[in-house]
Amino acid sequence: MRLRHTVALALALAAAASAAPLAAADLPIFDAHIHYSHDAWANLPPAQAVDTLRKAGIRRALVSSSGDEGTQRLVAAAPDLILPSLRPYRSRSDVSTWVRDATVIPFLEERLAKHRYVAIGEFHVYGADADLPVMRRVVELAKQRGLLLHLHGDADAVERVFRQDPGARILWAHSGFTDPASVREMLRKHANLWCDLAFRSDPAAGGKVSPEWRAAFEAFPDRFMVGTDTYTPERWLYVGEHAKWAREWLADLPRPLAERIAWRNGEALMAKVARSGL
Amino acid sequence: MRRAALLLAASLAAGAAIAQPIAFDAAERARILSHGPWPMAWSPDPSNRVSGRPAAVALGERLFFDTRLSGNGLVSCAGCHRPKQHWSDGHARAIGHAEADRNTPTIANLRHSRWFGWDGAADNLWAQSLRPLLDPREMSFSIAALARLVRSEPAFDCRYRAAFGRSVPADDEQVALDAAKALAAFQETIVTGRTSFDDFRDALARGDATAMARYPAAAQRGLKLFVGRAQCSVCHGGPLFTNGEFAEIGVGHFVRPGVVDPGRHDGIRKLKASPYNLLGRWNDDRSRGTATGTRHVAAEHRNFGEFKVPGLRNVAETAPYMHDGSVATLREAVRHYSELDPDRVHSDGGTLLKPLKLADAEIDDLVAFLRTLTEPPAPFARRELTEPRCD
Repeated sequence: MRLRHTVALALALAAAASAAPLAAADLPIFDAHIHYSHDAWANLPPAQAVDTLRKAGIRRALVSSSGDEGTQRLVAAAPDLILPSLRPYRSRSDVSTWVRDATVIPFLEERLAKHRYVAIGEFHVYGADADLPVMRRVVELAKQRGLLLHLHGDADAVERVFRQDPGARILWAHSGFTDPASVREMLRKHANLWCDLAFRSDPAAGGKVSPEWRAAFEAFPDRFMVGTDTYTPERWLYVGEHAKWAREWLADLPRPLAERIAWRNGEALMAKVARSGL
Repeated sequence: MRRAALLLAASLAAGAAIAQPIAFDAAERARILSHGPWPMAWSPDPSNRVSGRPAAVALGERLFFDTRLSGNGLVSCAGCHRPKQHWSDGHARAIGHAEADRNTPTIANLRHSRWFGWDGAADNLWAQSLRPLLDPREMSFSIAALARLVRSEPAFDCRYRAAFGRSVPADDEQVALDAAKALAAFQETIVTGRTSFDDFRDALARGDATAMARYPAAAQRGLKLFVGRAQCSVCHGGPLFTNGEFAEIGVGHFVRPGVVDPGRHDGIRKLKASPYNLLGRWNDDRSRGTATGTRHVAAEHRNFGEFKVPGLRNVAETAPYMHDGSVATLREAVRHYSELDPDRVHSDGGTLLKPLKLADAEIDDLVAFLRTLTEPPAPFARRELTEPRCD
């Protein structure tokens, strides 16, 4: 219920924003890739982290953390701003072992029973590892609860997840770190695939969008969103700089397309999740 | 390689107290050879019209050691870049008028660099030489004060005329840039000497097993790790033991709570904005032949928290380590790579930096190898009093 209220608030925000077009510098940002892991807490308490996001003009942020406690702290501090995603990492060291670690599953089940989430992820998985039992169970859990999967991996892993659950919704972290043509091909094949552009500098240079990415954005205007990726605590002090950079190149796109990538696509995806969530 | 190994084995059979032979495969051998020969060939910097001129070197040396080039008259370039400490200072963070945010790097071998400073905010040595002079925490000097000093001090005025072939001009900025170019000319003469590693590398190149066997066994094992499993030579490559670029290696970069050192990301911004970069009017090379990198470099997200990959010659003598001097010993620096947090280094599926999980003995071997990059003691002798004769 709380989640539906949050989404309703976001939709109201969207309606208000569409009624009064904003200058590029004021473009709200839906940041699809934020982490608030254990070492961030000490350097940036929740209130300060929330303040950092708000000052950068981040209206909503998809947050996952190693471990999940960081996300919960941020949700408590700003439920209107933070969209919680459950990362299957109790600590960062799980990043390279989690997919073969059966104890991850009871951890996820316990957290899912205790807290509300919009997604599972961001997790790292490549190739055939996506068919391992732990990953299969993650896909099942997401299906049962109508959650988004925030997947950092290659196209092969994405394909394997869709074979397990053709109805899955996947947010492809960093657009798979693959080239725009390959991203377009994946988006063409999978209607339930979205892409974040976190940690990618290639979409634009000097405020100008590259022709290859422009073509991808125009072909799939409702599938892209931006993200900072605060994978170290220091990166929290880059959130504002990143938002400024994003607004600069978004201003090179037609306004409706820029708004979609900046925040409307994220909000629309969250509305879908809210409609299908438990 | 096979021939060298056989020769080494034959030497061992002779019974001398020499190192046990270490087998290097073809790829390792190629990487070892790529770390030489030493010293490297060098030609004067085309962006600096007095690069390589003895008279400019003499002026630059005078300036380098003079504490009057500071706001309080107490700080010289040599206060941090101390000849007896291999042109570093031993402090975690540089201390001039106040404590700075970064460690003092050695200035040896800078003449081969493409970018200067931990963040690469300068693309030439003369601009880099001007930066600490003007930084309020370092030397806290000014363009006007520097020009005034060069004009008023006969020892500088005389050497300026000898170096630049004219009287000291009226334009303060011109004088300051010329002084910086003289400082650069002096620093270009600071080159580290040959080391026992260089002797080993050259012996390997010519297949001299007897000479190779003089290189300690622990250093050979460490070298094998360095160019092999540990992949150190990917970044610490070439004769300088650096690729001259920038990397994020999982070292925190908060300066203090709430304040971060952006490293290369901000360095690129400063470089682009600097009137003293190679694209500007102070570049003496009208062809701008060395400015291509400056023209095209652009900040990327990955640059945030990247710092320059330091060269490793004399590394055992230039503790503490990292951009902020946060690592006290060479052994700790090696251990950092053994135990680094992989999630602090962004992965796009095939990251180079992974925890090496080295055994203690392997860390010992890597440290033993790094110690062989130290040149034999060679006290620096100032030449200022004789070249040119102005006193």
